[in-house]
Amino acid sequence: MNDECRIGVYICNCGTNIAKVVNAERVCHRVADLPEVACARTYKYMCSNPGQDMITQDIKEHGLDRVVVAACSPRMHEPTFRKALEAAGLNPFMLEMANIREQCSWVHDDPAKATAKAADLTHAAVRRVARHQPLEKQEAPYTPATMVLGGGIAGLTVAVELADAGQHVHLIEQEGRLGGNVGRVDLTAPYLDSARDLLAEKIVQAETNPRIDVHLRSTLTDLQGFVGNFTGTVTHQDGSDTEFPVGSVVVCTGYHEFDATRVERLGYGKHLDVITSFELEQRLRSGRLETADGRVPRYVSIVHCVGSRNVKYHTYCSRVCCMTALKYGHEIKSALPEAMVTDLYVDMLSFGKGGEDLYRRTSELKTMFLMYEKEDYPVVRAAEAGDDCGLLVQVRERLSGETIDVPADLVVLMVGMQARADSDQVARTVGISQDVEGWFIESHPKLAPVSTPTEGVFIAGCCQSPKDIPDTVAQARAAAAMVLGYIAQGKVEVDARYAQIDGDLCSGCRVCNELCPYTAIAYDPDEGRSDVQSALCKACGTCVAACPSGAIAARHFTDEQILEQIEGVLAWSSSQP
Amino acid sequence: MEFEPTIVGFLCNWCSYTGADLAGTARIKHRPNLRVIRVMCSGRVDPTFVMQAFASGADGVMICGCHPGDCHYLEGNDKAYRRFQLLKRLMVSYGIEKQRLRLEWVSASEGERFARLVDTMTAELKELGPLELPPDLSLEPGTHPDAPVVREVTHG
Repeated sequence: MNDECRIGVYICNCGTNIAKVVNAERVCHRVADLPEVACARTYKYMCSNPGQDMITQDIKEHGLDRVVVAACSPRMHEPTFRKALEAAGLNPFMLEMANIREQCSWVHDDPAKATAKAADLTHAAVRRVARHQPLEKQEAPYTPATMVLGGGIAGLTVAVELADAGQHVHLIEQEGRLGGNVGRVDLTAPYLDSARDLLAEKIVQAETNPRIDVHLRSTLTDLQGFVGNFTGTVTHQDGSDTEFPVGSVVVCTGYHEFDATRVERLGYGKHLDVITSFELEQRLRSGRLETADGRVPRYVSIVHCVGSRNVKYHTYCSRVCCMTALKYGHEIKSALPEAMVTDLYVDMLSFGKGGEDLYRRTSELKTMFLMYEKEDYPVVRAAEAGDDCGLLVQVRERLSGETIDVPADLVVLMVGMQARADSDQVARTVGISQDVEGWFIESHPKLAPVSTPTEGVFIAGCCQSPKDIPDTVAQARAAAAMVLGYIAQGKVEVDARYAQIDGDLCSGCRVCNELCPYTAIAYDPDEGRSDVQSALCKACGTCVAACPSGAIAARHFTDEQILEQIEGVLAWSSSQP
Repeated sequence: MEFEPTIVGFLCNWCSYTGADLAGTARIKHRPNLRVIRVMCSGRVDPTFVMQAFASGADGVMICGCHPGDCHYLEGNDKAYRRFQLLKRLMVSYGIEKQRLRLEWVSASEGERFARLVDTMTAELKELGPLELPPDLSLEPGTHPDAPVVREVTHG
């Protein structure tokens, strides 16, 4: 134990988020008695300006040389508190956080046990921080070119935005055309603007701007390096590869539509006149709104929530289908004023600007709305000889409680959005995570919606979750702004955490050489020892755990730091009741 | 009083620690017996850490990493898996039941899975009772007569 340390410990109440389960005062009293702790305090919001000022003031007044903040996850506010240390002239790495919110107060009900756990975690942080060493910041240049994956509305927006700001973009598109899913749509809800008009200008700009290199029928197959200094390998249709040095990657890979054959009772694939929303869009675009055998439909039934909001398929709402279905009411009625349009829906989710207005306008067109119970899909069957329609859609109507046969010549299935089948490959290539449904995970759902935990990799549009065009464009422009922020800086801070080999201890066995996934460790035959190239090292620590001589140190995750943490986390729990 | 086991968890920063945080954001309640230590990769978990945890009073140790193929560092979890297999054999020779060490894959989206793993392991350890290391057992590598292989295993 390092008795020379002067550690300040700050326990956050997080309003009531922590304090309602964890007795922060009790944790404070317990750690205050530890020999290395010079002062310990609680506060309602440590991350607030007064909270940070408290830390900065204490460092100066009490001559603190290390700080522990027991609060939320370090994934949330570690950068915040590192800045507070820096503001007081302390090296930012002299900080350790104890996660007593996400991994304690939010998941435990028993105040005594949660408080004991919070005290253990804080104790461990005190023991660990006592072993921290100041690490110097390193800087690397930032390559201003950007790679954008996906040429749909999101990717096009990012590319055009960056190019307009004078920056170079490599736009990678798997298909043979730009435009993505929006390019398959006729009009857009709620204002009935043409999707073609939305896209056309952007596509022209992307194709003609000399700062945008469009690579069609191409895929990113490998990404090496780190923020500001990535090398992306793009494989083209002919099998050839091109390497591009880029500073950031913006992932805009979009979505796939739900496979309607999975809901058997809807009869898709069995009855030719049961079509998906995208197939209807195609007919609307070509101006041929007719049945499979070329007749003008008199009855059109639109089934909402196909594949969405259903425990068997996808539990989430796909967000755009209700509004799109309302749009169809307008498009069908305007082409075929005599047609009868019936919407079979679960809940009408007409959110956002112009949504309710579109709902009202569609209702005024005398389309019929019938409500069905969530997960109780209507059953589509062929009509009988005497019926004046091709199909019958049997629905258990929720408001009347009756079972109704709705006549239909055309049944339109509002297929939801799902993560692309290849999204796991994309996630692996660029090093980001997916949620249970396959959507890419952002750094913070509210505060960092387009960033990912992998610095320099951004996400925008439907690859993150289902969303409409305005939200997609907003995200795309946000991602472009993030990239421009890096470009304006011209440099990036390189992670100060990397592995370091003590040449005096290294026996030259070369076990680590083989283990390193980044080939960052090279053997020097003249010296008879290995050395780590810090710029290539990503600090996983696999070599550290394997070195038979204990010659490799993982900076900021050293053996002694972790061993202290282990002892600290257990020191009180074995004596706890 | 009912025995409450103490479990030390080594969670990789990218998948499992994020998954544990997700359990928090989603308020998925679970047993308060696990004490988490964050490491960058499950491949960083030196077998010494595990043995140190047992020696310092842990009744169980849970190592969590990314699912196979999803490792942020490409293959650190493979290394963790191989070490885990060797470590299990070693533990038994120390008289530590093999149920006291678990290696689990928890992705960033598996808050629910993480919570259930904590509950399951807590229940199993309650059944098993507190870890009682032989009083003469020294965990200094290579010094115990029953564990002459410790250095090789640690560094294999």
